[in-house]
Amino acid sequence: MTVRVSLSEAPPAGRLAALMAWLGNPRVYTSLAALSLILVIPIVVDSPFIVHVFVTICVFAGLSTAWNIVGGYAGQLSLGHMVFYGIGAYTTALLIQHFGLTPWLGMWVGAAVSVAVSVFIGYPCFRLRGPFFALATIAFLEVVRLLAIHFHGFTGGSAGLIVPLKLGWAWMIFQDKINYLYIAFGLLLATLAVSYAIRTSRLGYCLTAVREREDAASAAGISNTDVKLKAVMISAGLTSLFGSFHAMYLTFLEPETMFSLANSVSIAMFALIGGLGTVAGPLLGTVLVVPIAELARGWLGASANGLHGFVYGVVLVLITLTLPGGLAGTFGPRVTALIDRLPGRRVAPDREAPALRHIEGTPGEPVLETRDLVMKFGGLTATDHVSITLRRGEILGVIGPNGAGKTTLFNQISGFLKPTSGTVVIYDAEGRPVTPARADEYARLGVGRTFQIVQPFGKLTVIENIMIGAFMRHTSVDDARAAALRIARLVGLLHVKDVEARNLPIGDLKRLEVARTLATEPSILLLDEVMAGQNQTDTQKMVELIRTIRDTGVTVIAIEHNMQAIMSLSDRIVVIDSGKVIAQGDPREVVRNRRVIEAYLGEDFVDAQGL
Amino acid sequence: MDVLVQLILNGIMLGSMYAIISVGLTLIFGIVRVVNFAHGEFLMVGMYAVYLLSLHLGLHPYVSAVPMVLMLFAVGALVQRFIIQPLLGADEHIQIFATVGLSTALINLALLVFGADLYSVQAPGVRQPLSIGGYTVLHAQVVMLASALVLVAGLHLFMQRTPLGRAIRATAQNRNAAQLMGVRVDRIYVIAFGLGAACVGLASALISPLFPVTPTIGTYFVLTAFVVVVLGGMRSMYGAFLGAMIIGIVDSLSGYYIAPDLKEVVYFAIFILILIFKPTGLFGFGRGTE
Repeated sequence: MTVRVSLSEAPPAGRLAALMAWLGNPRVYTSLAALSLILVIPIVVDSPFIVHVFVTICVFAGLSTAWNIVGGYAGQLSLGHMVFYGIGAYTTALLIQHFGLTPWLGMWVGAAVSVAVSVFIGYPCFRLRGPFFALATIAFLEVVRLLAIHFHGFTGGSAGLIVPLKLGWAWMIFQDKINYLYIAFGLLLATLAVSYAIRTSRLGYCLTAVREREDAASAAGISNTDVKLKAVMISAGLTSLFGSFHAMYLTFLEPETMFSLANSVSIAMFALIGGLGTVAGPLLGTVLVVPIAELARGWLGASANGLHGFVYGVVLVLITLTLPGGLAGTFGPRVTALIDRLPGRRVAPDREAPALRHIEGTPGEPVLETRDLVMKFGGLTATDHVSITLRRGEILGVIGPNGAGKTTLFNQISGFLKPTSGTVVIYDAEGRPVTPARADEYARLGVGRTFQIVQPFGKLTVIENIMIGAFMRHTSVDDARAAALRIARLVGLLHVKDVEARNLPIGDLKRLEVARTLATEPSILLLDEVMAGQNQTDTQKMVELIRTIRDTGVTVIAIEHNMQAIMSLSDRIVVIDSGKVIAQGDPREVVRNRRVIEAYLGEDFVDAQGL
Repeated sequence: MDVLVQLILNGIMLGSMYAIISVGLTLIFGIVRVVNFAHGEFLMVGMYAVYLLSLHLGLHPYVSAVPMVLMLFAVGALVQRFIIQPLLGADEHIQIFATVGLSTALINLALLVFGADLYSVQAPGVRQPLSIGGYTVLHAQVVMLASALVLVAGLHLFMQRTPLGRAIRATAQNRNAAQLMGVRVDRIYVIAFGLGAACVGLASALISPLFPVTPTIGTYFVLTAFVVVVLGGMRSMYGAFLGAMIIGIVDSLSGYYIAPDLKEVVYFAIFILILIFKPTGLFGFGRGTE
């Protein structure tokens, strides 16, 4: 879906050509043409009211686009976003009043304050889910609003604050309103550009991954908190800039309108109507809804008080019931397909990365050790003093009855569970023993894992799913895609690469788990029942795939119930029962071990067989 | 000391008002697992209805309690049936937007119909002070406290003793298992949402004599109710009741000892701290991060 023409990578002489090529893309020139209407219509019509409507559109579209970075891309439903708008507005106005600082500089101070506040709010709140995150953001907005009213000596309180009226470009206050439109349009363009850049960058993919499945994102080496914080900081800064500008436009600030819950809901609503998590959605939603409100206000005056809000609310409920993907989400692909028929330059063909690099190191040296791992859940001891050593280049099979503690062991050696006691040691590239703190750190150290219950990013395509893993080693989208294509070919998913993951059958989903993990280029691969639910042909393919992976130098540890497959595949077997290691060694010896047979088939069977 | 006791007494009276609203919110969240952002607007709708009944039929607000409970049960049931039910399988943010949209629509509808003016309901006698051992409370506040206690006790008996109550509890604990046992989960949800809204119907009748109604009155109360519900552990009626008492007392004390316009700041701060550090609520009745 992305337009991959990079300007920054082109040599200076080729930049102009690259720019022309970029402009020649139908998606680019149609977008730019549509955007320019926001500027052209008011200039042509030349009515103060129309100019006002379009300034309002630019401001709310910008606010909604900025909100969408957190609310759409990161899926964190902030309903208190106007807190950053208010901070931007008050900071800029107060700096003019007390220090005579021009708003052109003041707006950056406001943005800096907003970014700092966003970290303060975001860091603790990001652990909250869904409605509770939304409620916490409302609470923060209310607190700031009440404080703004309380400290009236500083903010003017409920009585309000009038921006000192100094006319001209230096003070961002004009008699001719059209000048406001130029600034608002510029800010909107910049915000859309930032939003587009994030959407099509590594950060955008990481945000989507975190939104869809936090655990799988951690396993792909993404620090959930880090990416969400990045999103909220960018979003808060942009929101604040619009607040600063709008303060200069309105020239009157009061806490009720600057820290308004209703407006916070509105900007989120525009994004939903247009299409949550899309680049064009928030603008589209605003363009559709704001003019209705402004025209109603302009024509009907005070008698229509509440009419626009009523319409907003009804539209919002109807959209959730009929078009939850919003306009861009529902009709976007069809419109894009139409636009692509226009003449112009096409998207560059896909490139595939060269083969996997071979992992260096002495075969047989320890790469991972567990020392007396104990994991207790309440009264249950899930792993009981488990000590195992994983050696470079081997395939270690982990077997045991259901509920034996195999997956709990995996969760501990991939950082998803902190052991009650005992340690996990990973030997890094230089052979130093380290114990990472979080799941994403394990992943970055080269411990890749799959999940027994598959964890695909359902709304992303197969290739995008694999790219999420590839982003751990690649920063550019092109490189990640190239690496993902190579892995898709390796695991046999190339034929479904553009299918959304939620539409895949279970066999392909299991392969996708492996593919996403492989894309992180692990040196240790943890496979949790990747053959479960597969037919015989698929199982055979998986066995061959695991051997191929091992041949590139990757050390494999696999939990498996498919005895035939795991016995033929493994160099060594560890048997776990009731949280304890009851046997380990050569596969042929392990299957004859009395305690292993007992664990699987019960003591009676062992006695009956006279073993 | 006298002041402190009087303040705590005031707090308990205030708390009983929050309790009635919050118990309704908890019922809806605990059973349907949807946070009803329009809960405050249900209250607002009820208060306008009480005002109209008093104006046109001369009904005392307390008499209006009966029609209000019935009317809001119907409103809640309809909202569940036609808005929430189709969205039960949808993403969480879609459910949030649906109730937020409903809230926005109702606030603005009230603004459109009644304007931004304040309307007070006449209720003879209820604002009379009552002296208990040297401390004063209003008659209306005593009625409020008694109603809150009766409501929680009544709901407790209903949930524990009746077959329908058992079906509701089973649904709250495990949607699928209840369905497998033959419980008609959809119908339970409609009833639960109706009951939650009916609590607000009761509240609207009791609050009307004390607070004038405006389009945004619901937002004012419901934000506090959310604080209470989080404090009480989200799912538990008893937690909500205790949480309401605590917030009532905090409200009363901080209004006096800190500043009247900062009392909300105090309990929003408590709210944020609880959400972040003890999402299971003060009494460990539920889980906030689910």
